[in-house]
Amino acid sequence: MRLRHVALPVGSLLLFLVLWQLLAASGTWSETLVPSPAKVWDAFVDVSTTHDGVRGYNGTTLIEHLGISLRRIAFGAGIGVAAGVVFGLLMGTVGWVRSLFEPWITFLRTLPPLAYFSLLIIWLGINEEPKVTLLAVAAFPPVAVSTTAAVAAVPKSLIEAARALGGSRWDVIRDVVVPSALPETLTGVRLAVGVAYSSLVAAELVNGLPGIGGMVKDAANYNNTPVVVVGIIAIGVSGLIIDGLLLRLERMVVPWRGRT
Amino acid sequence: MSSSEITAATESVAAVDAVRAGAVRLDQVTHRYGRGGEAFTAVGPVDLTVPSGEFLVLVGASGCGKSTLLRLIAGFERPTRGSVRVSGTEPRPGDTAGVVFQTPRLFPWRTVRGNIDLALRYAGVDRAQWPQRRAELLARVGLEGTEKRRIWEISGGQQQRVAIARALAAENPLILLDEPFAALDALTRERLQEDVRLVAERTGRTTVFVTHSADEAVFLGSRIVVLTKSPGTVALDLPITLPRGDIDAEELRSSREFAELRAQVSHAVKSAAAA
Repeated sequence: MRLRHVALPVGSLLLFLVLWQLLAASGTWSETLVPSPAKVWDAFVDVSTTHDGVRGYNGTTLIEHLGISLRRIAFGAGIGVAAGVVFGLLMGTVGWVRSLFEPWITFLRTLPPLAYFSLLIIWLGINEEPKVTLLAVAAFPPVAVSTTAAVAAVPKSLIEAARALGGSRWDVIRDVVVPSALPETLTGVRLAVGVAYSSLVAAELVNGLPGIGGMVKDAANYNNTPVVVVGIIAIGVSGLIIDGLLLRLERMVVPWRGRT
Repeated sequence: MSSSEITAATESVAAVDAVRAGAVRLDQVTHRYGRGGEAFTAVGPVDLTVPSGEFLVLVGASGCGKSTLLRLIAGFERPTRGSVRVSGTEPRPGDTAGVVFQTPRLFPWRTVRGNIDLALRYAGVDRAQWPQRRAELLARVGLEGTEKRRIWEISGGQQQRVAIARALAAENPLILLDEPFAALDALTRERLQEDVRLVAERTGRTTVFVTHSADEAVFLGSRIVVLTKSPGTVALDLPITLPRGDIDAEELRSSREFAELRAQVSHAVKSAAAA
């Protein structure tokens, strides 16, 4: 068991690094296309520290780029998640509200964020507003959809039990509908944060510096492939960490999941 | 009619009925599910009066409409025809009766204590009294010391005990139980039957208990009503005068009178289902 859980993932990572190194050293592709692991490591050290009087990348260290992006995600996804929960609760409980909004949310969900980003730039300029809005719009549909489904699927038997105890309509929503929908909603939140994360580079395409997505975009403009790779790895790793944290939060908040 | 006139009318009806708390009265009750060609008559017509303090057991084969009858008394359904009165008024869920369902229907996001507390809150009990009331309720169903347990950590029998304690929280004068022990093993079932009978005897509440088991009916009821197959009507109305109180449950179950009554009820259920 131990071997499978530790050795195999580590082994596959090492194998990947070795293959990468061999591929880079073989000279099949130029260094600009496939930089060696060592080059990427150097780039990582460069953008993480101050050297030759230059601080990180474009005056901002990697961790700061990441922090700024994470703040955008927290704001954007936060707004999207909050709106998604509210809409989900309304749509799950009131039939006509669902009929009214569901087509729009489905439409929004199918759109790639890049599709409406240009419109957001026209409307909101090039500062924080379009970025946060893009992340909010991207995070909103998964939460709204999963909350709607969860609310609509609340066991009638539990609602009846609460009513039999004398619970009012509002009591039933607060004490039965919301907690019963919580596990599914949290799954929607994880999904939403994932979607927001994958929209990060898109959100920071225009005037994205400082910001990790902006860094990737800017480095790409200068064919600075090692920094691009560093940025991609930073986005991936931080995404994994955040997903892990959300998963732990979910287990903590809804320990009854899968036990009913 | 103004609301004061309605109140006055209700009061006068209540006075005529001379109802006591928890008494149930069904007048020519028919209940139909669905409409038009797909309509299905589940119950009726049924005339039934349950005096305050009685332990009535409704027995019948599955699908005879006994659960529907209970849902009508609980106020979850309105009768298609006829009238249902509990303590002289139209039943409303939460106001008139404590209900125990076939499955415990506890809230898994709350502990044992949380489930009881929710019932106390809905019943409008002052928060300062919760600890004492909670302890009383749990003691009554033999669950002392389980307050902090999660619902999935306790057995099915214990879960149904919590459900009973929860149904007792509001101190409604009427308790309705819908085949509450059907899913439990025989040993747990017998124990819970004894406990439910004790609770009913001690609190003097009117109880309506639905089951398909003749054995359970004879053991629990002070009166047994056997229903015909759907649409259910009253096939047999039998007072049970077995000795109660101090008598040992094992002794009661093995007595000749018990066996005879059980055979009588069992026969009635079978012929009512075949008719």
